[in-house]
Amino acid sequence: FSASSLSSEAQKRGVGQRNSYSSVFYGDVDMDEDVEGNSRLVYVRFVTKLDDPFKVPDTQLGLPSNITRLGLSTVVNNVLQSGPSFYSARLLPFDVLRVPVIDFRRDNWRHEPFDFLINGELVRMSLEEFLLAKGISAEKVLEIEYIKAVAPRKQEEPSFHDDWVSAVDGSNPGFILTGCYDALGRVWKAAGLYVENDTGALVATASKDKTLRLWMFDAEESRGDPTKIRAYKTLRGHNASVQSIAAQPSGDMVCSGSWDCRINLWQTKESDAGASVSIKKRKKGSHDGESQSEGEPVSTLVGHTQCVSSVVWPQHGTIYSASWDHSIRRWDAETGNESLNTCCSDSSSSLDPIDSAVLIFCGKVINCIDIGGESSALIAAGGSDPILRIWDPRKPGSSAPIFQFSSHASWISACKWHKDSWFHLLSASYDGKIMLWDLRTAWPLAVIDSHEDKVLCADWWKGDSVISGGVDSKLCISSEISVK
Amino acid sequence: KKRFQRLHLLAAWIELQEAFLSALVSDNGDVMEEEIRGPVETGGSTSTFNTAWISRKGSFKIDRTLRELGSGLSDILGDEGVANTSDGDGSSNDGGGDLSEGDQSESEEFAQGVEESDSSEDEVAPRNTIGDVPFEWYKDEEHIGYNISGKKLKKKERQDKLDSFLASADDPNGWRKVMDEPNDEVVQLTKQEVKMICKVLKGKAPHKDFDPYSPYIDWFKMDAKHPLSSAPEPKRRFVLSKWENEKVVKLVRAIRKGLIKFDKPKEKPGVYDLWGDDSSSMEKAGHGLAYIPAPKPKLPGHEESYNPSLEYIPTQEEINSYQLLFEEDRPKFIPKQVVIHLHLLRFTSLRSVPAYENYVIESFERCLDLYMCPRARKKRINIDPESLKPKLPSRKDLKPYPTICYLEYRGHTGPVMSISTESSGQWIASGSSDGTVRIWEVETGRCLRVWELGEPVRHVSWNPSSDIPILAVSAGLDVFLLNAGLEDEERKMINKLLHIETSMAPDDTGKISSIVSWDQDDNHEGIRLKHFKTVSSVEWHRKGDYFSTVMPSDILSLCIMWLAEEPSDSNECFLRAILIHQLSKKSTQRIPFKLHGLPVSSAFHPTRSVFFVSTKKNVRVYDLLKQKLIKKLETGAREVSSIAIHPGGDNVIVGTREGKMCWFDMDLSSQPYRILKCHSKDINSVAFHRSYPLFASCSDDSTAYIFHGMVYSDLNQNPLVVPLEILRGHASANGRGVMDCKFHPRQPWLFIAGADSVQSDSDRSVMKTISALGRFCKDDRKISGGCGGGFTDVYSPGNHWLAISCSEVFLSSPIVVVEKIHPIEISEAVSVAARGSARVIEAAEADRAAIVHRRAIVCLTLLIYNRKARRGCGAFRVSLIRRLLRVGSYAGDGIASFGDGNWVPLDGIRVSILSVS
Repeated sequence: FSASSLSSEAQKRGVGQRNSYSSVFYGDVDMDEDVEGNSRLVYVRFVTKLDDPFKVPDTQLGLPSNITRLGLSTVVNNVLQSGPSFYSARLLPFDVLRVPVIDFRRDNWRHEPFDFLINGELVRMSLEEFLLAKGISAEKVLEIEYIKAVAPRKQEEPSFHDDWVSAVDGSNPGFILTGCYDALGRVWKAAGLYVENDTGALVATASKDKTLRLWMFDAEESRGDPTKIRAYKTLRGHNASVQSIAAQPSGDMVCSGSWDCRINLWQTKESDAGASVSIKKRKKGSHDGESQSEGEPVSTLVGHTQCVSSVVWPQHGTIYSASWDHSIRRWDAETGNESLNTCCSDSSSSLDPIDSAVLIFCGKVINCIDIGGESSALIAAGGSDPILRIWDPRKPGSSAPIFQFSSHASWISACKWHKDSWFHLLSASYDGKIMLWDLRTAWPLAVIDSHEDKVLCADWWKGDSVISGGVDSKLCISSEISVK
Repeated sequence: KKRFQRLHLLAAWIELQEAFLSALVSDNGDVMEEEIRGPVETGGSTSTFNTAWISRKGSFKIDRTLRELGSGLSDILGDEGVANTSDGDGSSNDGGGDLSEGDQSESEEFAQGVEESDSSEDEVAPRNTIGDVPFEWYKDEEHIGYNISGKKLKKKERQDKLDSFLASADDPNGWRKVMDEPNDEVVQLTKQEVKMICKVLKGKAPHKDFDPYSPYIDWFKMDAKHPLSSAPEPKRRFVLSKWENEKVVKLVRAIRKGLIKFDKPKEKPGVYDLWGDDSSSMEKAGHGLAYIPAPKPKLPGHEESYNPSLEYIPTQEEINSYQLLFEEDRPKFIPKQVVIHLHLLRFTSLRSVPAYENYVIESFERCLDLYMCPRARKKRINIDPESLKPKLPSRKDLKPYPTICYLEYRGHTGPVMSISTESSGQWIASGSSDGTVRIWEVETGRCLRVWELGEPVRHVSWNPSSDIPILAVSAGLDVFLLNAGLEDEERKMINKLLHIETSMAPDDTGKISSIVSWDQDDNHEGIRLKHFKTVSSVEWHRKGDYFSTVMPSDILSLCIMWLAEEPSDSNECFLRAILIHQLSKKSTQRIPFKLHGLPVSSAFHPTRSVFFVSTKKNVRVYDLLKQKLIKKLETGAREVSSIAIHPGGDNVIVGTREGKMCWFDMDLSSQPYRILKCHSKDINSVAFHRSYPLFASCSDDSTAYIFHGMVYSDLNQNPLVVPLEILRGHASANGRGVMDCKFHPRQPWLFIAGADSVQSDSDRSVMKTISALGRFCKDDRKISGGCGGGFTDVYSPGNHWLAISCSEVFLSSPIVVVEKIHPIEISEAVSVAARGSARVIEAAEADRAAIVHRRAIVCLTLLIYNRKARRGCGAFRVSLIRRLLRVGSYAGDGIASFGDGNWVPLDGIRVSILSVS
């Protein structure tokens, strides 16, 4: 069987091992041992929301209770491989597991790893243990939902930069933006290729030289060589290096967080229209004295006492920011000028009334923040400890995180929600690993170990890929992640 | 004749009467009731004998007279037994004298008899109640007394004697008549009475009914029942009277008020353990001479058997381990064994057990004990060590503090000597002995900028002002002011700040400008301040305009300067050790204080214009405005290495080269408030956090310690110091461990710089040399022994490595070992002075020289040896010193040793400066 996902043992431990993308075959012998070792049977019914080729008919199966995710996945794959007419009768598990040769089997079936949900929770141990832990009766017929396992199946060739990759952005499915310590921003179309864009796009970059720059690049110029673009606008207004940048969803405005403890809002939309893409980026030492227009901040949000390390602008009027002063704040971008921040009424009640803008106070330095998840309301943040925390600001009366993921070994440098999923997010850490998380389990779904040194930035791309850059100057793309 | 006989008898009779009467009158007559009453009762009449109280004295008289009378009567009556009577008469006459004597002797017994006779008094009341008085009192009265009702008893008409005599002579019964004088009447004795009298006179039973053997009734026994009265007990016997009631109430009140205190009932000594511990008896000897009970010997157990079980026989390891114990703790008795055929065997019989070998010794010692009285109380405190620990808050409550290493900043090729954080916390600068200064991004570990300065960097320091990102770096003899290049707009301003007019350089106004010269350094876009000595540390004032540089005691250059220019003012050299520079005016001034000792480092007060200078032993606090010494903090350490000021400014921590850290509370005293001894090697740096209550120390033992140091605003509360965490991670590289530690200005993060980032080969060899020497010195000190007052250190003047081991002169000769990596350049000087007696040591060996001063003796042994022979004390090859040049003596107070960069001041010791060439 081609088990391209992680081995279940590795997932059980929650330890990120390097993914093995090679096929692993599990012989019949193993399965027999499993079955005979424990004769207790659990009757299950598999359901799914997947489309037809991955749908199994609605039948009951008796499975040994010590079966793990890998075994379940094998069973489903075997069932699928055996074809639609396989299920004429209730089958004994031995028959299923021994892969009986039946006429209708699909010969060119490609093994697909699945993940299994029981009552909305991912199975990360043996079925027996899971039922015991959750207090589910094994007498009834279990309904197990299966989804495609979220794990990268393919690792693209890394794209090398001249220096550390400090920022990546994958918000536009057409290309990837990267920022680099050699003071250049790069636009990549795919792995190993510089940009060759077809539509005009607006790019904003933030740099350690205290400025933001707006770039416009337009499509088909020189095809072979990497094109060099010059910023058409420089936004000055910060007194210290700009740490983070985020664009309004409509693309009209950009906000940036800086080491001078301020968040500045900038207008971008005075030039011609075009898809606006924002990118968080750091660079330094660009001395280009060419003629370019300069811009002033529209408004400034003051409230943080230390470096604003991360800003996000998920909705039109709301900006979230995280800072080294251990706080996460929510700002109203509309009224930003005077009271400049309104806090959710429910969460402010429990907090200090003087500093009502503080949404969440965490004891650690926060380096990255992202908004997403269920109805785009959950806050994920990571910082100067190896724990990825997720808060629900709608929850009244408590500022304790609702989820904590602590499989990393070092500081977390980036965290991003998946755009379409309520449950999936990724985190990158200085220990060189990127982990994919599902809220429904405490262990990482997958560990991408393609970097050799600290990972400084990571993002989703096109919904099924993870792009990341780090100290090893590589842009790594892990693709074919089947988030439902 | 008959008549005469009668007369005679009459006379006797009268005599008898008188005797009777006198006996009757004498109150103390004996009772002879039985004898007398009987006949009275039988007679039926109230005889005179009823009231007869016959004393013994009287009775004897009566006895005699009766006997005479009886004899006379018998004569008269012709009764039988006259002959006997006469015989008795004669004998009684003979014994008359005896009787009179017996009278007196028995009269005393008689007194006792009176009381015995009391009981019979009431039975028959006498008619006359005058009692026992002589009748002569009534001789002239008309009455003889009184009856019971108080009436006078009249005297009867008395016949005169002759008439009565004649009447009695006529009366045949006249002889029987007796005069009862108290009642004044004549009583006639009956026949029976007379008989009875005769019988009594003869000493026989008075009458037939008399039972001489009647049972004795003891009426006067203790428990004899005297039913005197059968009346019921009167109430007053058991009911309190009113007075008693009042008294009782009073007492009860007094008891309640506590005015009356009862004695506590004495506790009876209970049973006690005879063989128990005597420790309680220590308490009972509370006062007076201390009573020390004799130690109770342990009762013999199985192990003292001649043939103990196997488990009581210690193995060889146990015996060896006993040797490690204190002598007192060792078991007193170890079973002995015999060696038979090369095997250790137990004694097979009691017969084979030898005599106790310590008997003589122990007896002797016991005698000595008794003689010398050495029994002493040994204070051995048995306390649970846990209870001695101070109560500290839990570490969990003191979070956050650094615990785990998350980031490493890699890039230096040599030991990182110093680090410094930028005020915002975004950048950190580091200086290494590979000659580079680097700026790192704190968040990612990215090296932003590198300066190659060429010389090993000793110290880096960011300007504390966030507007002026200038880095002060001390490397070799120079201090560089470097533009960090973080500012864009202000770059010109900083350039201006760092620009020096070339015309300013040549103006030599005084000596100071000759010490430090401000030059433009175009290579590094900064200023280069040339000092005349190696600068060990650079510290900025909080406003970022002033900074101080410390040039620790380079005695050689001092000496050279001293030789070069005439030493007019020797203090000048010390004053130049610390300089204060002003960036805006590009000027340098020396501190206007006299330094006592050799400066190690300096620091500015975080809020006030106070300047801290730490010399090797003390920390001096100066007020820069008033220009005077405020305080002197005595560390008590041999050598101070670093100092850090609490952001509040009232607390100072000082790290020493002995691994101790002293916390000074400036408000408390000049002594350390607390001494923390945690490092096993030299402390290289100490640091306070700017906002969190944390401080840290780092040491050559490759560890850094994090402490919680809470300073309360309440002045009554002393600072709370709690050790929190030991940070490891740096490997010990050639004897050096963690060189510097700094806190992040805003986060609870600690940066530590280690010496283990050595990569180039040359550096490593040099570092190895140091560690090898250090090891040697340790050995050397051990061998010379008893050098408790000495010190050992490794000095590194430039390219040469000196190891100095010094001990007090009077213990053993101090040894100064100098190793030169480059043996040709033996040009440095080392001098060691040690406090000693005034004794002069003439050291005349070829390889040893002694310089003698008035008060101190300096003894030097300069050993120059090659590197191969380094091991072992006796193995190294001693080569002769070419020349030992005494440069001179310096009369400054308090310098004992100097090499490059290190001074040890000792009070009142002279200094000699030696130069070896």
